[in-house]
Amino acid sequence: MMYEAQRALASPVRNPRMATVIGRLLGAAFLVCFGTGLYSHFLQEPQDWMRFATRPEYLYQVTQGTHIIAGIACFPLLLAKLYIVFPDLFAYPPLQGFVHFLERASIALFVGASLVQITIGLLNTYQWYPWPFPFRQVHFALGWVLIGLLVIHIGVKLPIIARYWSKSSGSGDDSGDDDHLVDAVSADRASHAEAVRLSGASRPGGVTGRVLDYIDATPQVTSRVSRRGFLTTVGVATTAVVGLTAGQTFTPLNAVNLFAPRKKGVGQQGVPVNRTSEQAKVADAAMASSWTLTLAVSGTERSFTRAELLALPQTEVRLPIACVEGWSQMANWRGVRLRDLAEMMNAAPETAFRLISLEQRGSFSKTQMGSEYVRDPLTLVALELNGETLDLEHGYPARMIAPGRPGVLQTKWLSRIEAIS
Amino acid sequence: MTRPDADGSGHETSRLGMRAHKNAVGPNPGDGSTERVGNGLNPPPAGITPSSGRRMRNIRLVLVGGGVLLMAWGALVMFDSVRPARIPGVALWIAAAIVLHDGIVAPIVLAGGIALRRAGRRITGTVVVIVQSGIVVGSIVSLIAVPTLVAKNFAPANPTVLPLNYGLNLGIFWVVLAAVTVGLSVWAFLRGRHPAETFPDDSGR
Repeated sequence: MMYEAQRALASPVRNPRMATVIGRLLGAAFLVCFGTGLYSHFLQEPQDWMRFATRPEYLYQVTQGTHIIAGIACFPLLLAKLYIVFPDLFAYPPLQGFVHFLERASIALFVGASLVQITIGLLNTYQWYPWPFPFRQVHFALGWVLIGLLVIHIGVKLPIIARYWSKSSGSGDDSGDDDHLVDAVSADRASHAEAVRLSGASRPGGVTGRVLDYIDATPQVTSRVSRRGFLTTVGVATTAVVGLTAGQTFTPLNAVNLFAPRKKGVGQQGVPVNRTSEQAKVADAAMASSWTLTLAVSGTERSFTRAELLALPQTEVRLPIACVEGWSQMANWRGVRLRDLAEMMNAAPETAFRLISLEQRGSFSKTQMGSEYVRDPLTLVALELNGETLDLEHGYPARMIAPGRPGVLQTKWLSRIEAIS
Repeated sequence: MTRPDADGSGHETSRLGMRAHKNAVGPNPGDGSTERVGNGLNPPPAGITPSSGRRMRNIRLVLVGGGVLLMAWGALVMFDSVRPARIPGVALWIAAAIVLHDGIVAPIVLAGGIALRRAGRRITGTVVVIVQSGIVVGSIVSLIAVPTLVAKNFAPANPTVLPLNYGLNLGIFWVVLAAVTVGLSVWAFLRGRHPAETFPDDSGR
């Protein structure tokens, strides 16, 4: 029965060479997602010893845009990989001892966790959370689990991967002979006809027999057409899902941005918004005339009204706001260099700062900024955006903007900036 | 044994090879089984020696061991950062994903492929594959586009989230895809009717 299921599933694309070809693309996408994900994670939760590059100023736009693009590319690639190895599900006997059990269990977990990881990642970009667990923590933990499972998988399959890595090493070999994957040739109707003849049955009996007979009566597409068609399909599908969404971060594709959750230029002052003043419950405090920005360095405190900040030397910078959700938007910002304010307060050059928002709750209402960003001449306490007074939704009266940092760390509705001793 | 043209470079030699290959399988299963034995039992290809076999084993052990450590670290991170009451939810989603794929999506894809091939038994294999590709590409794009429609129903946090008319865009995408698929199918069908221009293995059955 299991053999018959495997035979029914046989197809010219279900061979170890194809599994290797698609598998290494998928593996590369996983590694890219993991690397860029780790970078984003440590930007948000740095260890004390960590220092980050502030140039190029679009660094985070690229790394996080890539994270989302590679994650979206995983949908067609993962489905293609699962299509190729689907007959393995019906391996018979189902279990051949404890090691085989562990291998199959690791594959099951790998498949399930991969599907969950890319699904919750995609839905997070829509800000839709229909699951009963916290996104950020689970996405991060699953990232480690998946990389572990990927390394195990590569270890387990290494002989197959090595043998089918290049086309010349018996790859296109149609017998596709492998313990785990069904070869295409055995699916040939001739072999079935022979089996029927040998078993002496003229008509198949039972439901299974009839189903398999129906399948066997199906015209086969030739191997080469199947394989070319399959690879073309995977290529076109991957190009489509990436090409039709990447415009949210990659400007040349903006015109064909059909399905991304963000659109460049859509938002107050031409910049999309993530957390609103309503969500943050800051509107009253932000619009109050009594608002001041307080700087605190080693016991000394000084408060600035917005007018006082505007009276200080102003700098204009062109920096992208790049969100952890993968979208980004270039904008012109104008305000006071944080470095100037730090010098005014006699802060030592190596000082890191804590940025505190008017927002009372929320995971990013208090964040840290390493000294490399504080010293950077592009880092501003921004007061204007694209030539206008900063919109409330963009952090009025004042917000941070620094090169190469995730949007959640570009603290809006600033209230207090203090040196970390 | 001839080698089918797996990368689709489509040179004349591989076309001829393909024809020879077609003749070799089926009526003469001995050919395939010889190949199988050749790959399975004969000395491994040049470059693989007993010492490189040991090396392969060591690399595999290191990979599996390292992978287990990474997984354990991930589990530790999970238990450290997620409240224990929430973790069964993660397990449930993973289990549900497996059931959804292996139990529902994959059988539907299989049945769809078979139905399409049977429906198209009088046309060339190339046309069947083109139509199949069109359906698969449309389905995968829909897979990432349909959640936007659902999420938009839950009133996004602000108007800059999900600002596009995704239903219209998906409709446009399907129309363009259908037009391209039909165009390519007609082209392949017409080409298939002129044997002189046909690849020997494109004729289907």
